[in-house]
Amino acid sequence: MTADLDADWRELVTVALLGTDRRPPPETSDPIAEVVDDAVRPDDAARMLAAVGAVAAARRAAFVPGPPAAPLQPPTDDERPLCSPAAVQCWREIVAEWPVLEDEWVLTVVEQGLRVPPDALAELLFRHRGDAVRRTRVALAAGPAAGWLADQIDRLAPSNSSTSVSAERVTSLPDLPLPPELAELRSVDAHTFASRLAQGFTSSAFGPAHKAVLVNLLARCRPAVLLDAAEALDRTGVGLALALGDLARLRHRMMTTLGVTV
Amino acid sequence: MTHPSGPVVSQRLGNVRPVQQAWTIEQVAAVAPSPRSVAAAEPLAVATRWASVGADDRALWGRCQGSGAEPYDTVVDHVEVAWRCTCPSRKLPCKHALALLLLWVRGGVAPGTRPESVQAWIDARDRRSAGGRGRGGEAEPTPTPGAEPDAEPGRADPSDQGEPDRGDLDRARDERVARMMEGLTQLDRWLEDRMRTGLADPALARYATWDELAARLVDARAGALANRVRRLAGLVGAGPDWHSEVLAELGFLHLIAQAGRRLPTLPGPLADAVATASGWQVRQADVLAGVPDTDDWFVAGRSDVREDRIEVRRIWLRGERSGRWAMLLSFAAYQQSLDDSFVVGTVVHADLHRYPGGSLRALAGRRYADPLPFHTPTALGVAEACDAIGTAVAQEPWLERYPATMRVMPSVLDGRWVVTDRQGSLPLLGDDRAIATLVAASAGSLVDVTVEWTPRGVQPLTVHLADRALDIGPRADPTFVSAA
Repeated sequence: MTADLDADWRELVTVALLGTDRRPPPETSDPIAEVVDDAVRPDDAARMLAAVGAVAAARRAAFVPGPPAAPLQPPTDDERPLCSPAAVQCWREIVAEWPVLEDEWVLTVVEQGLRVPPDALAELLFRHRGDAVRRTRVALAAGPAAGWLADQIDRLAPSNSSTSVSAERVTSLPDLPLPPELAELRSVDAHTFASRLAQGFTSSAFGPAHKAVLVNLLARCRPAVLLDAAEALDRTGVGLALALGDLARLRHRMMTTLGVTV
Repeated sequence: MTHPSGPVVSQRLGNVRPVQQAWTIEQVAAVAPSPRSVAAAEPLAVATRWASVGADDRALWGRCQGSGAEPYDTVVDHVEVAWRCTCPSRKLPCKHALALLLLWVRGGVAPGTRPESVQAWIDARDRRSAGGRGRGGEAEPTPTPGAEPDAEPGRADPSDQGEPDRGDLDRARDERVARMMEGLTQLDRWLEDRMRTGLADPALARYATWDELAARLVDARAGALANRVRRLAGLVGAGPDWHSEVLAELGFLHLIAQAGRRLPTLPGPLADAVATASGWQVRQADVLAGVPDTDDWFVAGRSDVREDRIEVRRIWLRGERSGRWAMLLSFAAYQQSLDDSFVVGTVVHADLHRYPGGSLRALAGRRYADPLPFHTPTALGVAEACDAIGTAVAQEPWLERYPATMRVMPSVLDGRWVVTDRQGSLPLLGDDRAIATLVAASAGSLVDVTVEWTPRGVQPLTVHLADRALDIGPRADPTFVSAA
């Protein structure tokens, strides 16, 4: 039946290309022929249209699956547990709002003995296909699935596969520039850290020109100071400080959703 | 003039006093001659560009400072849908009229007393139309704008306007049925002409050929068919098999046209399905007044598709107890937002109200509890899924999408991605990211996936893992919608 329908359809397409002014509609098989015979007006175009409608409907309803395909060879097992959905959601926020934290997110996944889940993996490989260091870091975090997936999907393959990278660069966070007076804040306690930051805004010592270095500071300070810093920044009521408070909270959440005790 | 897409916002129904109600953005977009016109109007849709603006229950007016030395006087009849502007543009409506409508929609036009010049224009219009079809009185079933994907954008729900007179309703309905029947007859003649001249006719490659037909169908209040025709125009020349795909679509249009012309003789549910496929509108209030379908609804998948100037979101739900599918639709014109209250992978105990004819399409009613997170759905094999889809398509051959949750794995067959099990395979649609996520989640093993069947293949929407649902369905362009 399906074979008949397909044959009928091929003939109908051929006639439809030329038009019934040049070639009459083909004879169709039963029961399509009966439907065509019932066409209201017996001219060629009406018969053709009736046949097209009937065969198209029958073919669509009678569609059958194609032959089974061989399964893909699976990647080597990786026993590490997947990151939680909350951690993936946090990563999405990082990518959208504070990408300065993404390197740390990937490295923390590795350090915590976790594995990048499938939805984040595809995105991470897309994002870093041209950056050998980050791509290698993603491969560490995703395990054998990373290379396996890139082998399956052409667009996930690295754009420059010949670049070699050192293990040190892969396993350590990139340095972010900090002026000495801010760099020293990295070693102070949470209370001092928070009050010095807030004071900088209330005294107008910090302004929009300092945004980049303050972002760097909050991306590289000790995680233990983050919540205090966020609260102190919020209290200033200054727009930039509020944004930095958001960064501090997001980094804190990044840590906790990846199981780091802060 | 009543615009083809028919935005009649405030209607006079017998003695019922009309209620002034601003249009929606999508209604404005619907009357625009092109998307570019709306874009051109946007910079003018700010209060600082306008003076002497005002609105009442019939008209909007204002003076827009354009590129000329003198401001342009613009008037819009937002009830009978007409416009006048002193600008030199030959487009109707011009960007000034569109901008005034946009400003009004956004609450930037305060109520005012109609100036004399506006009153004179309205009076002249009323005098002209007095000999023809009476203004108002149309109260045929109409949707709230955006109530369905093939809705004619721009019609307000008259349920908000008091109870119209029964006789008016019947007359309007009869008139509308007659227009639709005439439209379906014209459609079938047009289709026969295509059969005569053939698909190689160069006219088919011109959008105007299709736009003209779509406009006639809109006039006939067959908006669903008009949208179908516009989508069909995009198939011409789109691939090596376009002749076959276009021919099949012409065949389905013929089936709908034929069935629509025989509507009174069809069994009830089929008649409802045909009416819906043709574009017959049902008021949301009527749908919500129906018996609810109460169930634990598993939110199986989400799919966003741009249709012309509207982003359409389909949410596919499956009843835990009934096993039946339902579909919720939401719409967003430029910078509007889509419904994100149903989260993929959750279960919601709620009422759904189905459209007539046992339709997949439904409206959400009461929700009885907060959604429950994550769920493992009942998944079918490829052959079972094909049976289920084929059954649905046999009942409504013009169906363009149908959901299924399948236990399959992605693989490659003849150089093309498919989903497969031991019984068979189906072609896989979707962009690289969706397929990559599906492949990564599967890792060469069977995985539960909700897909949207289309005649070209299946679009993956959701991968259901043990502890999470990966929402990989096509997503609205975030630069178009305000939140998606």
